[in-house]
Amino acid sequence: MSHSISTPFCRWVLFGIFLLACLLASASADVALPALAASQLDPGLKGLVLIEELHCAACHTSDAPFSTRSKKAPRLSDIGSRVNPDYLQAFLQNPHAVKPGATMPDVFSHLPENQKREVAQSLTHFLLSLKTNDFGFQAPDAVAAKHGERLFHSRGCVACHSPRSGQGAELLNSSSVPLGALDKKYSFKSLVEFLQNPHASRPSGRMPDMRLSRQDIERIAHYLIRDTRVPGPLAYTLFRGQVWEGLRSDEVRPERAGMVADFNLASLGRVEHHTAIQYEGWINISNTGHYTFYLEMNGGLLTLDGKRLVEEDPSDRREVKTFETSIDLSVGWRKIELTYFHTGYDPRFVFDMEGPGFPRHPIPSSMLSVSNEPIPTFKPLEVNPALAALGREQFAKFGCARCHDDLSVAAPPATTFAKLNPSRGCLSDSVGPWPRFDLSQQQRSWIALALPTAEQQPLDDLQTLNKTLITFNCIACHQRKGLGGIAPERSVYFTGTHEALGDQGRLPPPLTDVGAKLTATWMADVLLHGGRQREYLNTSMPQFGESNVGHLVSLFNKLDSLETAPVRVVTDLRELKSAGHEMIGVNGLSCIACHDFNGQKSTGAGALDIVHATERLQKNWFHLYLREPARFYPTGIMPTYWPGGQSVRPNILGGDSARQIEALWAYLEDGTHAKNPIGLSRQARELRVTDVTEICRGQSPVGYRGFAVGYPSGINLAFDSEQMSLRMLWKGEFVDVDLGTFHPRGQERIVFPSGIPFHRLKSLDENWPYKGKTSYTFPKDHGYQFRGYYLDAHRKPTLMYRYGDIVVEEYFDDISQGNGSAWFQRTIRLDAPDTQLPFYFRAATGKSVMKKSGREFSVDQLQLRIISDHPGIVREGNPAEVLIPITLPKGATTLSLEYQW
Amino acid sequence: MVTLRSIFGVLALVVAPTLAAEELGAMWGTAQEEAKYYPIVNIPIPQEVPMRPGSFEILPDGRLAVGTRRGDIYFIKGAFEIPPAPEYHLFATGQDEVFGLSWKDGSMTATTFSEVIRVTDTDGDGVADRYETLSNNWGYAEGHEFAFGSKHDPEGNVWVALGLSGSYESHNLFRGWAVKVTPDGRMIPVCSGLRSPGGVGTNAAGVMFAIESQGPWNGCCSLKHLKQGAFLGHPASYNWYPFVPGMKAPAVEPNSNSRMAVEKRRVKELVPPAVCFPYIKMGRSISGFRLNRTGGKFGPFDDQIFLGDYTLSLVMRATMEEVNGVWQGACYPFREGLATGLMTVEFTPKGQLIVGGFTTTSQWPVRGTEPFAIQRIDWNGRVPFEMREIHILKDGFKITFTKPVDRELAAHTDIYNITTYTHIYQGDYGSPEVDQTTAEVMAATPSADGLSVVLQLNAIVEDHIHDFDLARMTSQDGEPLLHRKAYYTVNEIPKN
Repeated sequence: MSHSISTPFCRWVLFGIFLLACLLASASADVALPALAASQLDPGLKGLVLIEELHCAACHTSDAPFSTRSKKAPRLSDIGSRVNPDYLQAFLQNPHAVKPGATMPDVFSHLPENQKREVAQSLTHFLLSLKTNDFGFQAPDAVAAKHGERLFHSRGCVACHSPRSGQGAELLNSSSVPLGALDKKYSFKSLVEFLQNPHASRPSGRMPDMRLSRQDIERIAHYLIRDTRVPGPLAYTLFRGQVWEGLRSDEVRPERAGMVADFNLASLGRVEHHTAIQYEGWINISNTGHYTFYLEMNGGLLTLDGKRLVEEDPSDRREVKTFETSIDLSVGWRKIELTYFHTGYDPRFVFDMEGPGFPRHPIPSSMLSVSNEPIPTFKPLEVNPALAALGREQFAKFGCARCHDDLSVAAPPATTFAKLNPSRGCLSDSVGPWPRFDLSQQQRSWIALALPTAEQQPLDDLQTLNKTLITFNCIACHQRKGLGGIAPERSVYFTGTHEALGDQGRLPPPLTDVGAKLTATWMADVLLHGGRQREYLNTSMPQFGESNVGHLVSLFNKLDSLETAPVRVVTDLRELKSAGHEMIGVNGLSCIACHDFNGQKSTGAGALDIVHATERLQKNWFHLYLREPARFYPTGIMPTYWPGGQSVRPNILGGDSARQIEALWAYLEDGTHAKNPIGLSRQARELRVTDVTEICRGQSPVGYRGFAVGYPSGINLAFDSEQMSLRMLWKGEFVDVDLGTFHPRGQERIVFPSGIPFHRLKSLDENWPYKGKTSYTFPKDHGYQFRGYYLDAHRKPTLMYRYGDIVVEEYFDDISQGNGSAWFQRTIRLDAPDTQLPFYFRAATGKSVMKKSGREFSVDQLQLRIISDHPGIVREGNPAEVLIPITLPKGATTLSLEYQW
Repeated sequence: MVTLRSIFGVLALVVAPTLAAEELGAMWGTAQEEAKYYPIVNIPIPQEVPMRPGSFEILPDGRLAVGTRRGDIYFIKGAFEIPPAPEYHLFATGQDEVFGLSWKDGSMTATTFSEVIRVTDTDGDGVADRYETLSNNWGYAEGHEFAFGSKHDPEGNVWVALGLSGSYESHNLFRGWAVKVTPDGRMIPVCSGLRSPGGVGTNAAGVMFAIESQGPWNGCCSLKHLKQGAFLGHPASYNWYPFVPGMKAPAVEPNSNSRMAVEKRRVKELVPPAVCFPYIKMGRSISGFRLNRTGGKFGPFDDQIFLGDYTLSLVMRATMEEVNGVWQGACYPFREGLATGLMTVEFTPKGQLIVGGFTTTSQWPVRGTEPFAIQRIDWNGRVPFEMREIHILKDGFKITFTKPVDRELAAHTDIYNITTYTHIYQGDYGSPEVDQTTAEVMAATPSADGLSVVLQLNAIVEDHIHDFDLARMTSQDGEPLLHRKAYYTVNEIPKN
């Protein structure tokens, strides 16, 4: 069993420390409503927003409309499962110290500290008495948290909440909606549940549903609670990939992390081949003495008490090895770190310990801990019925029940709204038996401005719209004329996947004139049903709930208007659509160069799929926009094809701009049934081999420095001129070429992996070298330099390169039988200035390699024959290889081989 | 016999060096007038030739050589005839995209995306048979990683400008650097900090420059001095200093959201762009350039640089001078209305300017409508009334003209409208023009021959583009300027 502490006394000591830290860290801040401060809203309206956000009417009753639309406080019936009771009590006792900027008032500010604590305690018992609770902490997954950090900063969370430094410090806390210490407040599980359906506990929708996948929510939750510490035996991180390259390799990625009971692989669930596990923990040594550790594994690294005891590089081409190592250990907690590589032939892991009073055996969980310091165990609060009953009374007495009205606790009324005096009570600085909000002077002045008129003057449409956009902080992501938009310091957190689209590819679209732009149907779809077209934006469109923002659809449409664009009466719809079809395609305006079309990706910028344009857009806006895109998106990349009203394609529809735009509209109205425009798909462009050899170079399946040769006998090869390696053989048609790229056609492909041709293996365990993503100087660092090629009379190339001071020339000849079958004879000429140390040539690789004789091998479908006197060997592995040991004398040596398939 | 490949269909790879960030923008509106002096002539391209010109060279026998995106090198006879009578000959094939050609000692040295390669016809049949790779020692593993090469310098080196892996990052060795490749195949890194460079070439003093594109850390397109050891503005390529023996990374990185004037003092290796091309006013994706050494055959602009623009299909001029050891100068509108997106330009032995390029269906908008073209700008011998060149003085500027000005008019200070502005030096994409000022012209003194005017200003603003508008200026014959605008980039103010 892991060691932990859990007495009630410790609980309060620890929480007291947390509370004290809160108090020291921040003198209580003003009520934080960043949208209010940032926006250009009229001050009186700002006051009204505050009155609604603080729900003044909960106590100070009013019949006016603002009363019903005010923000409802969080629902409390489930709070015992949602929130850590320690946090709850600390928060109740001193809300603005525990969560600076919170909108919840301090209703006990007039009480002495010991009374406050008693009230907070009984309220906590009351709230936890409402239901059976299942709150408890889970260990964070550091790997998921790393993803979560990226998601938190890109999906839109930081539009309202503060972005954080790598260490977790809030960078913009003065202009953000506060979160408080989430790792103290929530468990991983309760935070995930909250994020999945925030409106269940917060029905007023200020915290929107971000429409994220369960996995993304979990990752964000792991990030937000990453400082949570729970007791446990052993921490681990699991990696997958080409683990023999080391854990820092590009080809290895961390997959998950957390806690595990012991070093038994089975405790981690199913462990796949090519996995590495990094264990970290402390072992409790109860008898001083000499300890021996026994390991069976392919490779790994064991460190005990800071001493490296076993270090064995893994190899994918080897059996498990056995290790035995000893160390003297004294009584106490000793750090143990073990990295285990699950790779090679028949991988398995045995890890035993033997010492004084401990016969050889795996280390049990009870001797292990993730920390050498005690970590408190969370113990659920045992509800005291008497305290809970008292808490219920206080819940009514202190007015909690007025805002948190879901518990059906009756509360006495306060002064009616109409009789409020802005210089007294909650709006004053004086302390008394009223809620304390910590309002700033400016916030108070806004409320004072709004008080006299809040009940009298109904809001007009524009005021309602603006107020809603501020209340839900829409302007944190969207620009709207007269209100503001994305704060410059947050702009960097808006990112996208299509760099070529510039700002349009990363910023949510502006809301200026949006009511004159979008159809009501599409707007409702976006606002209320998660409709989304701009898949390239990393931010998601949050959902605030129909009852909260549903009215925006009609308000936008009512309030926004633009001038009417000149439109021509349609005479011949078919002619119009046909002109539209022509203009969309490559022979017209080439709209499809940038825009996706009917699910087909554009090869360029990847702008919005235009077949949906007429479902989303109002026709008048479409006309105005096409004439002058920069008017609506000053930094957009959409060009105008009608500059100054003049068409750049005067030959279509007589150059009549209005008719041309109308034609595009008419054509796009066919939506997903629209006829495919010309130039839509990338047309294959075959390079045929006739009577002479053809060569093409460039970006290809064998690398960016691909080199393909098609021979007249109908066989082809691809070589990588970066790594000097033969990468592919195939029969039949040669390649499709495009600008700077080629793709092999044909059939019967033999594919070889990337890697250099010659190498001095240190041992037969060593992996054959190839270029990894970050091996920047490879293969120059192995002595290679490509030097080009020359052509013979049949235009067959001889490749030239150097391996150290050896000058290498390679020539492939296509040998034809006349019966249609053909194969390659490969001649490698090596010219050495001096005798060379032995090295290997990798002649072929495959899944299954059979040695028929020292000079004949079958490698999957390939038959390899060594013609010159250079017998080869087979090295098993994945892939298996035919290696030819080379000892090179001074002067020229010729290696010749035959490849038949 | 080498097969000629037919061309049709859609092109693929994104080549445009800049991201266009606004609409194409209004034309200068001067094309009709320009045509009176510099008519445009089309060089016909046979239907079977897949011609997407990426680079030009003139052969000793007077033929035009064209390197293409498809990886071919064509030799064209008769391209400079009036009217053109081109005959196309395929010299070499199969390379990656060719964005640099330079003929030397009987071989063509080509810069492709993957390497610098020397191509030779050793058996004299007119078709290349030896392809010697001089260097392929830069990283090339992503689609955006373009390479543009220069002509041979006097030592026989070819300079190569290597674009970043996209706009923001450098993932592979030396992306964002300029390197030079020696005749014996060594690669010497020269300077870091490029973003998405285009053509590489010399100014009149033989100093090497490269075109840079607007984008992150670049408020507008520019000509940048490839100075040994310099850092040219985009810090993504800092990561390759450990791979350059004897060169140390600058001690600090530039701050974003700053000004060049501030950062060049912090980062001592930072060399500001020599000539800035205000976005849209002066192109959107300048691409290739050549120095005019025609000895007057191309009109009154000898020793000036001529540049093509990809997006706006136009040609501009630039002049340069070295002040306090730093290169700077001005750019001027020259000719608009070309048929396609220009990638490369070259002067012919007859003093014509050959321009060529392409559009693709998969990239940024281009004003020219032809999918590809080779065109020629000829000078018909008539001299347009133009600002020939602007020089900076310690307290103002000297403007020279191609014809004498109306001296009485030219002495009025109010006909010179000079505004200044700069860009935000930032990691975000591009920049608006900021920190605008208006210069007060204190005195305007025309020379006795009327071919120049000295302007005395209340102040010259360092690190600002000085935007000249001489709308009301006329020649002594009452002729208005063909182009009223010019833009001088002040990096340094002369000390005397």
